Amino acid sequence: MTLKKAAGRAGYGIFLISVLLIMIIPIYYLLVTTFKTPAEAAASPLGLPVQITFENYRKAIEAMGYGRALKNNLVIAVSSVSLLIIFASMSAYVIARSTNRLFRLMNSVFMVGLIIPFQISIIPLYKMLAGVNLMNTHTAVILVDVFCINLPLSIFLMRGFIHTVPVELEEAALIDGSGTFQCFWRIIFPLLKPILSTVAILDMLAIWNDFMTPLLLLQSSEKQVLLQQVYKNVGPFSTDWTSFFPMLVMATLPLVLFYLVMQKQIIEGVVAGAVKG
Amino acid sequence: MNTKKRDRVYFWMIFPAFAGFTVLYLLPTAMSFLYSLTNWSVYNAQLRFVGLRNFQKIFTDVKTVAALVHSIKYAILITICQNVLAVLLAVLLNRKSRAANFVKSVTFLPAVLSIMVVGYLFQYIMTSADGGLLNRIIEWFGGKPVNWLGDADIALYSVLITQVWQWTGWSMVIYIANLKSIDASLYEAADMDGAGSVQKFFRITLPLLYPAISFNILMSLIGGMKMFDAVFVMTKGGPGYATETIMTTVIREGFSSGRNAYACAFSVVFFIVVFLFSQTLTYVFNRWEEAIRA
Repeated sequence: MTLKKAAGRAGYGIFLISVLLIMIIPIYYLLVTTFKTPAEAAASPLGLPVQITFENYRKAIEAMGYGRALKNNLVIAVSSVSLLIIFASMSAYVIARSTNRLFRLMNSVFMVGLIIPFQISIIPLYKMLAGVNLMNTHTAVILVDVFCINLPLSIFLMRGFIHTVPVELEEAALIDGSGTFQCFWRIIFPLLKPILSTVAILDMLAIWNDFMTPLLLLQSSEKQVLLQQVYKNVGPFSTDWTSFFPMLVMATLPLVLFYLVMQKQIIEGVVAGAVKG
Repeated sequence: MNTKKRDRVYFWMIFPAFAGFTVLYLLPTAMSFLYSLTNWSVYNAQLRFVGLRNFQKIFTDVKTVAALVHSIKYAILITICQNVLAVLLAVLLNRKSRAANFVKSVTFLPAVLSIMVVGYLFQYIMTSADGGLLNRIIEWFGGKPVNWLGDADIALYSVLITQVWQWTGWSMVIYIANLKSIDASLYEAADMDGAGSVQKFFRITLPLLYPAISFNILMSLIGGMKMFDAVFVMTKGGPGYATETIMTTVIREGFSSGRNAYACAFSVVFFIVVFLFSQTLTYVFNRWEEAIRA
């Protein structure tokens, strides 16, 4: 029995190490390569770098116009998430609290967006945005990120949460004479904090990692986001991996830092998004 | 309280979201349907109604048929691979040990990276040029190098592997949360009846994972159908058109070739496939739920 137990533990250890290696080797390879010279990377791809030099990073940051691209990412992500929080929370509140048929119908319409990807509308959407002169503007990307990609799920998650908030609180506030609108912002909105952070995290990941929308909507270099800078540089640096890999690292660094700090909340957010379904 | 007055305030609270959604999502979707029946393209000055001609072309052109088949095949395969692996990992990693916890968070990490960055990383790892990491590892073990992305027969599967690597952790954390909600006394009762661990898995764990399984399968399937980024950066649809998908075709036809109506028609086909998939799944899952409840 003890022998069997020991074999079981060893087997489990081997399983853990195999999973770990499969997950970590590609990421380890990405990171070590960024500190090597091309010759070094070719000679020993998985070896540690002979000496740590940030020269590759300096080149990458320069080629990407890093400061400007990062600023564009932040402008798009922060505005989109703020708009989503405002619009989705108000809509979810109305849907959760009202029995009016019109709002029920609107809810069913929003929920279509959960299943049917907006990509189906991409050609007319693009022409429409071009038609109102929004091509090559952050506004266009923000509109698509908010209304086409993230709104339905955000409303869905918030509505589920609002159902758990007792109605008595609002009734008391309404008796005190505050209007429906103030009542929402003063009493309900602050209570939504846990779900707001879940929604903000999920939306943030989706917006930051969305490559197709900026690719189609932003043409000029001053407007482009980090992923587009990576895309633009892959040609010129195609044979020079040691200079290209730092760009991959730099494009995702903000999100990886975000993950390391907020790991628990991010995983809770992913789970909330599924379990509420 | 005056319901009418309250509903008026409610209306203005929901209006911005609904107006934006209508103009930017519903309207363009409806337009896609309408334009799919026309000859809209950069080559035609005059917009004409052409009936189902675009659809006829889609189903007679080997390239678009291939793209459709690739997307469906890819979606089904990634759904199976990702979910089987994620359930296994969830069951094996769902214990209170520091090592298991660490492996869990490392497995989830790739899900926060962008698909595009993962695509480029693996393009270099899988390259058949000198110094491709994967082939060097294979050769080190004495195997023969494989042309992962350049061989038309396997390129789609190579892309698929990278996406399974990236997204299994995401599904896994959802399964783990579901596992935690299963009542431990069920397993104790099964132990008393002398059930083995395989039996316990199929009799207790799998049926009670129903909520997570139905959610994850629907998400992987729809996610697989709209796959674009990974193929776009890793193979550009090639070699030949071996890895073209619905979305790479829609984008190429609509944006590069200017054949707008044709791209819209392909979007409509995309819609129909997603709709059929989700309806079928909902039906199957409802049946399954009834069977479990019974």
